[in-house]
Amino acid sequence: MMPGSIDKVAPSDKQFDTVLIANRGEIAVRIQRACRELGLKTVAVCSEADREASYGRTADSFLCIGPSSAAKSYLNKDALLLAARLTGAGAIHPGYGFLSENAEFARVVEEAGLVFIGPDASSIATMGDKISAKRAMMAAGVPCVPGPDTALPDDPAAVERIALEIGYPVIIKAAGGGGGRGMRVVQEAGRLHEAIALTREEAQQAFGSPSLYIEKFLQHPRHIEIQVLCDIHGSAVWLGHRDCSMQRRHQKVVEEAPAPGIPPEVIGPVGLACVQACRQVGYRGVGTFEFLYEDGAFYFIEMNTRLQVEHPVTEMTSGLDIVQSQIKAAQGNPLEVSQADVQCEGHSFECRINAEDPDNFLPSAGVISDLVLPEGEGIRVDTHIHAGYKVSPYYDSLIGKLIVHAPTRAEAMIKMREALSRTRIGGIATNLSLLRALFEDEAFGRGETDIHYLEQWLKQRGAR
Amino acid sequence: MSAIDFSDPATIAFLTDALTAAGVAGLEISAPSGQLRIVVSSAGEAKIGSNRSAQPGSVSPVLVRAPLAGYFCVAHRSGSAEVSSLPRAICATDVLGFIRVGPVLLPVSAGRSGTVTKLLAEADAMVGYGAPLFEIEVQS
Repeated sequence: MMPGSIDKVAPSDKQFDTVLIANRGEIAVRIQRACRELGLKTVAVCSEADREASYGRTADSFLCIGPSSAAKSYLNKDALLLAARLTGAGAIHPGYGFLSENAEFARVVEEAGLVFIGPDASSIATMGDKISAKRAMMAAGVPCVPGPDTALPDDPAAVERIALEIGYPVIIKAAGGGGGRGMRVVQEAGRLHEAIALTREEAQQAFGSPSLYIEKFLQHPRHIEIQVLCDIHGSAVWLGHRDCSMQRRHQKVVEEAPAPGIPPEVIGPVGLACVQACRQVGYRGVGTFEFLYEDGAFYFIEMNTRLQVEHPVTEMTSGLDIVQSQIKAAQGNPLEVSQADVQCEGHSFECRINAEDPDNFLPSAGVISDLVLPEGEGIRVDTHIHAGYKVSPYYDSLIGKLIVHAPTRAEAMIKMREALSRTRIGGIATNLSLLRALFEDEAFGRGETDIHYLEQWLKQRGAR
Repeated sequence: MSAIDFSDPATIAFLTDALTAAGVAGLEISAPSGQLRIVVSSAGEAKIGSNRSAQPGSVSPVLVRAPLAGYFCVAHRSGSAEVSSLPRAICATDVLGFIRVGPVLLPVSAGRSGTVTKLLAEADAMVGYGAPLFEIEVQS
């Protein structure tokens, strides 16, 4: 590229031929693959800690944008925009995490004349605020957790009345919260005001807003997701559902599609309501509606306005390439599938392989001395690691995703057991032993586990 | 608390193991008694260098790196930075080159006095944050 191209004005239409991938690790590899298959050039960026990343060598351009600290590199909006301008990228794909749900970043990208591969800034802002998201979902007929779609009032007596109407236990949540932070369960009326005061303080400190809301606390729910795909022409489809109940401290460990044991006549109307909600808010690209599911009923909790870590299980069952579809939607292309075309088949599991101690969950940095990954029909591994790769202590401990697909859930479990047994990662600690043990667990095998199951299972395991 | 003896082989072995386990490429410790440098090679073998005290008058190379991503300009059009003849003595405040981002030229200062011995980036090449641009030999 000639040095002078920095001075060119970026194209104002939706077409682009070069995508800057504003992320790292396995998702950077995944997005690069999708771009290459679409004939698009890629720009990989890195921090100093990721200079040796293998995906840098396979990208058309590779640029270090800052020091190892994420705040100064992958979260540095100016550095990313500068990298896009220097390399002539016409679009930025944010991946997941980092700036993927940052409305301000989406806005400045578009203001710079570039395409943000994701929804527009206003959609991200609406869905990022839990109260406005709930209001939008209720308006579209999406079932929500019992509780008002407004912020908690300051009047203590009014709050008490609301909690009584909902019925204890209730949960107090920060409107701008997420990732399991900024929430408290209140079992009885006597604890209500103390919980509100603490959560409000935490919300102000962590999310910059003291705004709270209150909902019914469900005792034994499962975490169910609905994946949607939308274009800018008003078309939207849902691509089936996932169960992500296997969580530790609100971090998913195993995901599967479809969610077991939910009749189509129960989930079908919910999927259509999600599609309707997308049309109503003019949503574009991919997104995920997250629900709690208890006693045969769905309750909306939040929408993720980005690609999910667990998108592969939906790709395996639907046969659609979600990342390619997302990029095509950002280019302004109409959806290539209708709802009738979406036929989910078989069953898929995803295991998140983390560089962490399987007993105390402390991150494990170091050099991978030995690596054996499984291959075969119905087995997929999304990763950026290789023998000799140095796992950095600076970022998330996710180093790979092992995904399987088989005709039935039972067969997919067998395939995952086999794939896990063939996986070997030496030189660092990983959670592979935990994953192997989980796939031998009877309750998980029956598909009867809720979002609290893994925490309890780990406690019992530790007690033995 | 007694000072750690960095010349003790057991201490060096412990530090080497810790660096290798953490995947850290190297470590340099300067103490009044001397200097210890451990460099872990990609094959996992450490190279250890130690001197009890820096020799007066010894020369050590220092890299001048890009402060941000952009296009590397060896010299400004005005000719304020000259690198045509190397090696060349410079002082800390000398501007060795520029990083160009659009119409903006960000000067790259030497940062320390010494002798510029090598130009490490190509003129007009796009460089990333931290890319080595010059090597300076610094007199200790």
